Amino acid sequence: MIGLSGGIDSSTASALAALAIGGDKVIALNMPEKETYNKTDIQHAKNVSKKFGFKIETIDITPILESYYKSLPVYDTEEKLSKGNLKARTRMTCLYYYANHLSKIVCGSSDKSETMMGYFTKWGDVAADISPLMDLYKTQVRQLAAHVGIPPEIIAKPSTPQLWPGQLAEEELGIKYEILDLILLGLENFMPPEDIADQLKLPPKLVRDIRGRWLTREHKRRPPLTLKLEYRTIGTDFRLPYTPSH
Amino acid sequence: MPKEVTVALAQISSKVGDKDYNIKTMKKKIELAKSKGANLVIFPELALTGYVCRDLVYELAELVPNGPSVRQITRVAKRENVHVIFGMIEHSVKAAAVLHNTAVLTGPRGFIGKYEKVHLPTHSVFEEKRYFRQGYQTPVFQTDIGKLGMIICYDVYFPEITRLMRLKGAQLIACISASPSVRRGFFEVLTAARAIESTVFLAFTNLVGVEDGLQFWGGSRLIAPSGNIIAEAKYDEEDLIVAKINYSEMKRLEAFVPTLRDLRPELFNALKEETENL
Repeated sequence: MIGLSGGIDSSTASALAALAIGGDKVIALNMPEKETYNKTDIQHAKNVSKKFGFKIETIDITPILESYYKSLPVYDTEEKLSKGNLKARTRMTCLYYYANHLSKIVCGSSDKSETMMGYFTKWGDVAADISPLMDLYKTQVRQLAAHVGIPPEIIAKPSTPQLWPGQLAEEELGIKYEILDLILLGLENFMPPEDIADQLKLPPKLVRDIRGRWLTREHKRRPPLTLKLEYRTIGTDFRLPYTPSH
Repeated sequence: MPKEVTVALAQISSKVGDKDYNIKTMKKKIELAKSKGANLVIFPELALTGYVCRDLVYELAELVPNGPSVRQITRVAKRENVHVIFGMIEHSVKAAAVLHNTAVLTGPRGFIGKYEKVHLPTHSVFEEKRYFRQGYQTPVFQTDIGKLGMIICYDVYFPEITRLMRLKGAQLIACISASPSVRRGFFEVLTAARAIESTVFLAFTNLVGVEDGLQFWGGSRLIAPSGNIIAEAKYDEEDLIVAKINYSEMKRLEAFVPTLRDLRPELFNALKEETENL
């Protein structure tokens, strides 16, 4: 199961899934909603499903969201963030419903740039059983997308999480991925922010801010924080192998 | 050489990765301890950086003694005319990513010495061998306030190291720690055991606070060679305890519990052989 918006990350991840296990074993859910409805993106998603031979189902999540809006006493139509995250988490619940119902696993499409920046919804779009792109920066995903044959118009269009109308990733992050990825690569390689700024001819404050954002979002990348109370603790102690068929 | 020394155990909660903040805290505690008559102020393991630094260790590491933090603490030690022991991440002069979990001893006349943690815990919540190179030295330092040794946290589980320092003449051994609450029972016994078995003063200073879900229990204590707790800090909150020790007590105890007289060196070779073949 994979959520397919028609953007570069989900298109690439679903193409990889189909190439890896066969399109007949992959089902993509396209989950538009009223506020961010984009005909072109939906067409792009359909094109990818056709090209890579997997099934796509479209589920309009607007009625689900509207029932949330009606049910939540504190709902505030003006507050974008909570509402946007609700959309991402609603898409996640649909994917997991399908996964449970059809005995499938959920494939995520988060990339390394947005995961390091914490530019995702906690327990939302990032929630998945496998995440094949998570160790690739956005600029690397663009190369991989071209390599596997994602149509150029998908690779070229600006990234958006589609949580509210007009939302653009690079605008919100305040930086182009071409520069962001080089900063993150430097941080990954233990380079001091000053050296990164120096090499990339960037203001040191910009690099320090990116680093701050990377570090402060660690809570979004980990299992919930717990207290060490007993002999072996979940998260900090158990180091079990991954054996789903044990 | 004074027989009587006033020791302060500065049980602090460090802010992970924030050396400026932690140095400010340490300065305040040194001044406070001095105002209470301390000759020696002891801070916990990795007090300078916090304990759960994980991948931040590389950027937090400094040279000892020529890094900025040792210099700053030394300036305070000189100004306040007091000795200070504290824990920090040290990097090698020769290789910037070779790190040690280090205890620094500095004083009124400048930097005195350092101890690089010999036993690095790498089990349960501890991942020290992932980041640190183990130390090989067990130095003791002759100072104006007696002969001092330093050990760090997990070292206290290994009687050899305090024994060795005692045999080199240590009168007071500082055990600086970042001991989590789930291990409190072990430390309360082991710290007393190390003092008793080698008839030495032991100053255990533990971290407090919660880092990454790991709670440090505090309970810092100054232990006499008899095992008696001379002074004890609160559990689970910041505290500063100041108490006197008198080295002349050691002689009396050495006669009452004559472990040093009764040491059997012929066992040590067997111990070495058996350990190598474990």
